[in-house]
Amino acid sequence: MSLYEILGTVQIGLVFGLVSLGAYISFRILDFPDLTVEGSFPLGAAVLATLIVNWGWNPWAATVAAGVAGFAAGFVTAWLNVRFNILHILSGILLAIALYSVNLRIMGGPNKPLLGTPTIFSMFDGWHTPAYMLTPILILLLVAVVKFALDLFLSTGIGLSMRAAGANPAMAVANGVNVGHMKLLGIGLANALTAFAGGLFAQIFGAADAYMGIGVIIIGLASVIVGMSILPSRTVVQATFACVVGAMLYRFAVAFALDADWLGFKASDVQLITAVLVALTLVGQSSRSTMGRLLKRIGPR
Amino acid sequence: MIELSDIVVTFNRGTPLETPALRGINLTVPSGQFITVIGSNGAGKSTALNVIAGIIAPLAGRVGIDGIDVTGWPTNRRARLISRVFQDPKMGTCEDLTIVENFALAHGRTEPRRFRFAIDRTMREQTAERLRLLKLGLENRLDDKVGLLSGGQRQAVSLLMATTGNTRVLLLDEHTAALDPKTGAFVMELTQQIVADLKLTAVMVTHSMAQALQVGERTIMFHRGEIVFDVAGAERRAMSVVDLLALFKRDQGEELSDDALLLG
Repeated sequence: MSLYEILGTVQIGLVFGLVSLGAYISFRILDFPDLTVEGSFPLGAAVLATLIVNWGWNPWAATVAAGVAGFAAGFVTAWLNVRFNILHILSGILLAIALYSVNLRIMGGPNKPLLGTPTIFSMFDGWHTPAYMLTPILILLLVAVVKFALDLFLSTGIGLSMRAAGANPAMAVANGVNVGHMKLLGIGLANALTAFAGGLFAQIFGAADAYMGIGVIIIGLASVIVGMSILPSRTVVQATFACVVGAMLYRFAVAFALDADWLGFKASDVQLITAVLVALTLVGQSSRSTMGRLLKRIGPR
Repeated sequence: MIELSDIVVTFNRGTPLETPALRGINLTVPSGQFITVIGSNGAGKSTALNVIAGIIAPLAGRVGIDGIDVTGWPTNRRARLISRVFQDPKMGTCEDLTIVENFALAHGRTEPRRFRFAIDRTMREQTAERLRLLKLGLENRLDDKVGLLSGGQRQAVSLLMATTGNTRVLLLDEHTAALDPKTGAFVMELTQQIVADLKLTAVMVTHSMAQALQVGERTIMFHRGEIVFDVAGAERRAMSVVDLLALFKRDQGEELSDDALLLG
């Protein structure tokens, strides 16, 4: 891999680190398998691209707006579950397919290019260092700020209530926590992060696309699982760090798989590679299975 | 103070499985009184506890806590006034959180911290101080996950958590039944000490008649959704388990079929 390719993988890995933090909130903290992200990732991209291209918004404001739109999407998913008792996984699927149409409406078509329009990375225009080196640094800063803010949030009274609401709902209720409100807030937050990532991805990729959400859920989950099975995740600070690193590792694993000619993979095999990677990690975690013991023996631990 | 007036609860209403669980219960527990509740399986004692806690909404009747009508309040809102220790030690604490985090959560029941940090130095010191009561050395393990503790330790921690803050009413749902006899006795002793120190209004459901008479100052017995007797004071002090059984048989005119009431 060249430096250019490595930095490219790092920046995409970091962007998906945000998706991974979202998956950490929904899957790990709230125990709410949220499929909304398949729709909220392209939603963030669509909102961002439309605001920049059609409305002439400042790219930073548009990126924030993308996150707000994601929060709304997640809020609706959680609301369907909390208010009407629709199964969490089904609420997420409903939102994901609904958002597919919504995204087409927002963009007025299946995609919206951002070529020649300002993005948050345009600020590097005219610098002596090439943009491909500066972009990952800016994204790293953004992800670090988000990770730090999330750590702080999860250590507040509300953050603690949210963690309890997911881990032991009956105990949380007995201690005065409104579990429904925690789901609304948490799933909203998870999708805000995902849509924010979608907005960043569109600016790197140069376009928003209605199909860019396919497989986001499994990438987020893969990152959480890979990160937490490799790094310690006892505390929140460790766990969020593991999520971001996991996203990066996952991205590199895919890049290597595609890069290795002897494996004979094509770019279109990404989803298959992801699925196999996640399955292998999960099998490896359950030491009861023969495969699991085998993987444990040959693995690092 | 707890006031239950004409509480009616029916399970599976409108189906062939319709079962009356509580048939118009009236019960007043004055502030600072510690009462014990006995009854065979399905007698309605746990249902009554769940009605007080807000987990089961009664079909008819009124629930009052310290003079406030809480009948329409959801469980989490009632948590400001009521705290509870469950039978299963796993239920009362959150195993993924550390000891001090669990205490911070319990503290938030009466004093929510919202966007302020849940844990500060004061919280750690208060928690350590309360844990010293247990003499189990837990005050040195504030940052250990609760999942690492034994069942007895977790139940003791649950009890301390339930009595943190300004709660006035404590509900105990067979909270020593899942523990070994020695640990159970330890938790029971701790319960009596805390209830007396904090002058709490407490309701303890138990399966053991001996325990029901030894602990607290008043005993009530449920049978088939009704309170069949209610003893306190000198009458109760003079009572033995045998007397209690005789009273039960007289009231019901039937043989007691539940071994669990006799044993333990």
